[in-house]
Amino acid sequence: MDVDRFQYLILMGLCLLITLPLEFLFGARVWRRPRRLAAALGIPLVIFVVWDLIAIARDHWDYNPQYVTGWELPFDLPVEELTFFLVIPVCGLLTLEAVRNVLNRD
Amino acid sequence: MEYTWPAIVSVLVVIAIELFWLKTGLFRKVTFYVSWAIILFFMVLVDGWLTKLSAPIVLYNPAENSGIRFPWDIPVEDYLFGFALITLTMLLWDRAGRGEPDDGSSRRTRILLIRRR
Repeated sequence: MDVDRFQYLILMGLCLLITLPLEFLFGARVWRRPRRLAAALGIPLVIFVVWDLIAIARDHWDYNPQYVTGWELPFDLPVEELTFFLVIPVCGLLTLEAVRNVLNRD
Repeated sequence: MEYTWPAIVSVLVVIAIELFWLKTGLFRKVTFYVSWAIILFFMVLVDGWLTKLSAPIVLYNPAENSGIRFPWDIPVEDYLFGFALITLTMLLWDRAGRGEPDDGSSRRTRILLIRRR
């Protein structure tokens, strides 16, 4: 099997892995508040997926078939892009909450 | 430059959403700027990998962006896109956490909690 096809997905997996200590060693408590997390992720997910779909349709950017799985969701959205819009905001929230906890301020 | 203008507008819209609607106060907090300094560092690493011209994962149409790519081959528009995405999520996170005893949105709450222990 060609590992290169999973490069984008593996990169997203590494982002989750490298930020995991923020939750459990730096007391971020993002993963442990799933309802609040869902409330924060939902609207940006919809907005940025729509932006992504328009950008793909209007040829602002495209994905290198060499480094993506080719698994596509409705409207030809690469599964990697959905992953991106879930993983990256979570990493941002983990950073914010870890900083809050370490600095012990709002 | 159909990537450039929406990217700029998205940042302005997110700032407007905070100032005129959500009013979480996040932009007045030190934690926001410290967090962003850290996020920016890792954003350069991740986005640098996604956009590097030697083996790009994302292919950009040069007609639709400014052509300014820094550092390495990251289109500068990506920083605006990333700022809008992550900051909007942070604002909604803080909004959703209003009223939670441990939401960190009030020092007074935390002090009260500490006293209670």
